[in-house]
Order: sequence, then C-alpha cells, then structure tokens
Amino acid sequence: MASDSRNIRELLNNLWKWTVDRLERTTIVVYKFTVPKQYISPYGYLGTLTAIVFAILGVSGAFLMFYYRPDVELAFLSVKEIQEKVPFGFILRNVHYHASNLMVLLAILHLYYQYFSGRYKIKNEVLWVTGIILGILTILEAYTGYNLIMNQRALLAVNIGMGLTYSAPILGPTIAPIFMGGGLFDLVVRFYALHVFILPLLMLLLAAVHFPRALIIDFPVISVIVGVIFISAGLFPAELGIKFDLTRGLVEVPEWYLTAIYAFLRTGTERFTAGALLPLLFVIMFLIVPFVDRSRKLSWKDRPFFTALGVASIVLVTVTTVWGFYVDFSKETAFDQLYIEPTLFYGSIAGMTIASFYATYVYLSRQVRGARPPPTKPIVLKPQSATTIMVVLLVFIAAAAAATFYTYFINLPNHSMFYLGIAFFLFGLLLHVYRHSIYTQERQATQREQQAVRTAT
Amino acid sequence: MAGAVLAVIAPFANLVGYFYRKEEEVSKRQKLANLKDLSPGSYIFFSYPQTGDPKIDNDPFRQYVLIMTHDGHLRVYSRVCVHLWCLPSYIPSRGALICPCHGSIYRDTDGVAVDGPAAYQQYPTNALPMGVIEVDQNGDIWMVGVEGRLGYGREWQRVKPDDLVRRVT
Ligand code: FES
Repeated sequence: MASDSRNIRELLNNLWKWTVDRLERTTIVVYKFTVPKQYISPYGYLGTLTAIVFAILGVSGAFLMFYYRPDVELAFLSVKEIQEKVPFGFILRNVHYHASNLMVLLAILHLYYQYFSGRYKIKNEVLWVTGIILGILTILEAYTGYNLIMNQRALLAVNIGMGLTYSAPILGPTIAPIFMGGGLFDLVVRFYALHVFILPLLMLLLAAVHFPRALIIDFPVISVIVGVIFISAGLFPAELGIKFDLTRGLVEVPEWYLTAIYAFLRTGTERFTAGALLPLLFVIMFLIVPFVDRSRKLSWKDRPFFTALGVASIVLVTVTTVWGFYVDFSKETAFDQLYIEPTLFYGSIAGMTIASFYATYVYLSRQVRGARPPPTKPIVLKPQSATTIMVVLLVFIAAAAAATFYTYFINLPNHSMFYLGIAFFLFGLLLHVYRHSIYTQERQATQREQQAVRTAT
Repeated sequence: MAGAVLAVIAPFANLVGYFYRKEEEVSKRQKLANLKDLSPGSYIFFSYPQTGDPKIDNDPFRQYVLIMTHDGHLRVYSRVCVHLWCLPSYIPSRGALICPCHGSIYRDTDGVAVDGPAAYQQYPTNALPMGVIEVDQNGDIWMVGVEGRLGYGREWQRVKPDDLVRRVT
C-alpha cells in the first residue's frame, strides 16, 4: 500500500518535472507567479486583479456570443432571450455586466494607487504609459459592449459617440463613417467586431508589454472578487432597458464611467471641446506626469504638488460624475430636465477642484514627518480558534451553497447569484484564515526554535 | 524606378476604402417621383440609396422625405433628427417637420431647427441634412446625393437649399 502511494507520488513528480522542463522553452517562465504565504495589501496587485476580471469577461463574453445576434432589430431580442429564456443566460449576462463595471473600477483604483505611491518612476515609465492606454481601451471596450444591447440607453451613447467623432476637426467627418457604415445596421456589426475581437486583441497585446514580470496570485482575494461580482449582480441585476424606439423620447443617463463626459455635453458647451478635449487634457496630464515629476521621492507625503494634483483630479471626476446623474424632474420637457446651467456647473467644479488642490498642498507642505508609527502586532490565531472559525465559515458556505441551489430551482436567479457571491466571499475568508493560521504557527515554531537555541548557548 | 513603385502601389492606394460602404452607392441616382404626383403641401417618405434588402432599406439612416412646400419648392430631408436621432414627420399645415421625441421643429424651407432641443445646438448641428435632387425635362425627380452628415447636421449657411435642386435638360 505504502509503496503504491510512493510510486504514484514519484510518477506525479516526474510528470511535473517533465512538464516544467518543457515549459522552459515557452514564454510562460518569463513570469514569476507568486502565491503569497501571508496576507499582503491588495493595492499592490490591483493590476493583476484587473487582468483576472478581464479573463472572467473573456470567458463569459465568449459564451454570450453563442446567443447574441449583432443585428439592429434582433440584437435587443437576443439579449432578452439570453436574459429570460436561455438556461443560465441571466447569470452569464449579469456576470459579464458586473465584471465589466468591476474591471473599470479596479483599473481606476489601480491607476490612483500607482499614482499616489509614485510607481511611475523607478524605470516604470513604459509600464505607466501602456497602462494609461489600456485604461482608455478598457473604457472603449465597455462602451462598445453596452451599445450592443441596442436599447434606448445604447442609442443615446452611440448618438453621443458619433456626434463627438463627427465634430472632431479635420479627421472627424472621415472617421465617423468607418463606425457608422451605411446606417445602424452596419454600426452594430462594426461595434461587435470591435468589442469581441479588435479591442480585446489590442488589450492583450498591450498587456503583454504592461505586465510586470512578477505577478501575485492571491487566491483568497480572487475568491472575494468573484464573490463581489456575484453579490452585486444579485443585488443590482443588469437591466434590459427598453428596445430603442425612434418615436419616443426618454430620459436616459449613460453608464457611470461616462456620465462625467455627459455632464459636460449637457451644459451646451461646444461638443468637441466638452466631450473630447477636456477629457483628453485629463489623459495627457497622466501621460506626462512621469516625465515632469523628476524628484526621487516616491511617497505621496513627500510630493505635495503631485499628490494635490491627484486629489484634485479625483474631486473633478467625482463632481462631474455626480452632475452627470443630475436630472431636474421639476422641469416639463426631457430637454429641460437634462439641461445643466453652465456657470453653476463650471463654477462648482472649478471651485471644488481648486479648493481641494490648495487644501491638500498646504496640508502636506506644512506637515513635518514624525517618526514611523510602531508596526501593528499581527493577530495570532490559536490552532483551536482557527479551526472553530473555519468550521463556522464552512457551515455558512454550505448554507449559502444550499440557498444558491434552492433559489435557482424556484426560479429566483438573482437571489441565487447573491448567495453564490456570499459563498465565494466566505470561501475567500476561509482561505485567508487557513493561510493566516498556518503562517503564524510556522512563525511561532521558528521563534520557539530560536529561543531554544538562545537559551542553550 | 519611382514609376515602378507607384505602379505597384497604386491599385492598393484605396485600401481604406474597405472601411466605407461603397461610395458610388451614396451618390447613386434614384428616381423618387414625378412632378405630376406632387402638389404644394404634399410629401413622400422613401429610403435612399435603395438596395432591395429590407433590412438595409428600413434603416433609420436611410429614411428621407420629399416635400413640396406651400410655395412650390422641392426639398428632400434626412429624417434623422439631429438631436437624438428620432424620426420627425412632416406636418404640412405647419410647414414644418416635427420630432416626436423632444419636439424639435424644423422649417420645411431649409431644414433649420427653429424650436426644441435641436434649435439650441450650435451651427452646423442645428439643421437636417438634405438630399441633392435633379429634375429632368419629363418632370422626373431624381435623388443624386446627400449634403450634410446624417444624424449630425448640415452647413446650411454655406450651401443654399435652392442650390441642391438642379434642373437638367
Ligand atoms: S430626438 Fe428629435 S427632438 Fe430629440
């Protein structure tokens, strides 16, 4: 018996060694995958998380392609079919939708974390610039994606996008028809091609340059991220909207990552300036920052000007985004409801941006750096208590899994997604507790050994 | 040498043409009606350029209206509202095209928006694109092209609407 299992283990070992030796010939060994042995802050590897969510989008999107029909009239109906009739279609579509939101969100967080910690320095300029381009492609990918549904909201977004392209000086009138073709029937197909192939391909190529060589794969956090996708899908199921209808005026607001641009457009400012030049300024600011900020300091505390600039940019984006959602329902017509008074709008964003810049700058330059705060004591889990926590978590996971199946069978797919999300979330916690207890135990063991050595000598 | 290189490259010079739907199609000559069929205040909806494929012909961006205004002028307008792309219809009694969505009103004499959201948009995005038409000696009316950008606007201060109606003999 014992020799049997040893043989099997030997066989597996040999197989593993054989494979690894062959993989030496491929590019995969270029990457150094690290599975951390203890909790490390996810801020450092938000980029990897973004990539993982991108992979989830790729898989769910590929399956959605089995039913989606890129056709003016059929597109909406096919999404409706996926949502209502296709088994698991509702779940797939929701995963795809919420993962797309999460990807945009993670990309933004990733950008700002790297910005404030000064990571664009120390020979990271290429990583930084490719990252900014990847960010823009991510937004475009999300944009082309939600337009494929061909509901009212999609048409609004297409209308804004085409208006912006047309209004571009010199090239605009030449470029717009490339997307537009001979009408909406061409546009859907072209957006589809962009969404499922051209943009993702560009993103993958850029990602090959953008990926640093050391990648951190942290399973507990990945599990939590998957959980978050399902939980948000359960709480806010993706809406189908209303099929586009060119005889009905409805008040629609675009997806949250585009409302900032929408707010500018609604003030009546010249289209191209509002929708393209101003956002472009924003992008350019991020593109050139590594070449302007030449100091050797990395921490945000030591770079008051650039930190203040970053804070001000966050305030700017937030305020304009909030404005974008603003609809004055006391007005009678849809047009008046959506109109934003320019002086109020520009006044508020200028005031808040400048104030936040000034406040941050003054605060940071006055600050004297004190001594480092003492490191916090790690939480030590006794093996028994770790086991108890894990058992309790397991029970909850089992309950969530049961609820997942039950709600699925009584035809409440959004509840089902919610419970599944909870299960993933708790599973992430469980992995974390497990890892933590093993890690602290090992550390205690080594400490004890060291002590033993010390007392012996 | 340079000539040889050119000769090789020339046939491929218009590769970008792939990205546009065939140019000829948009300048295609298409018969719309005869003068006999029209009287002041009458109008005809049609799609242009017609292909025979209902999917393509029904596309909003191919919908036009031929109008004979009350003072007898011929006009062809794109039916895509330059505000948010709804399809305005023609109301002869008011001499205007009126959009069902947010109520933009376009004069039938030159397609410029005089009221509603489209009227607040900046020049040149406040006018409907127009069809270029020819009237031959039999009174047949032909559409031969489009002036302006569909769903976007038309530089109506540069090209007068009457210049878009040509008499041919
Ligand atoms: S779409 Fe015509 S007025 Fe808004």
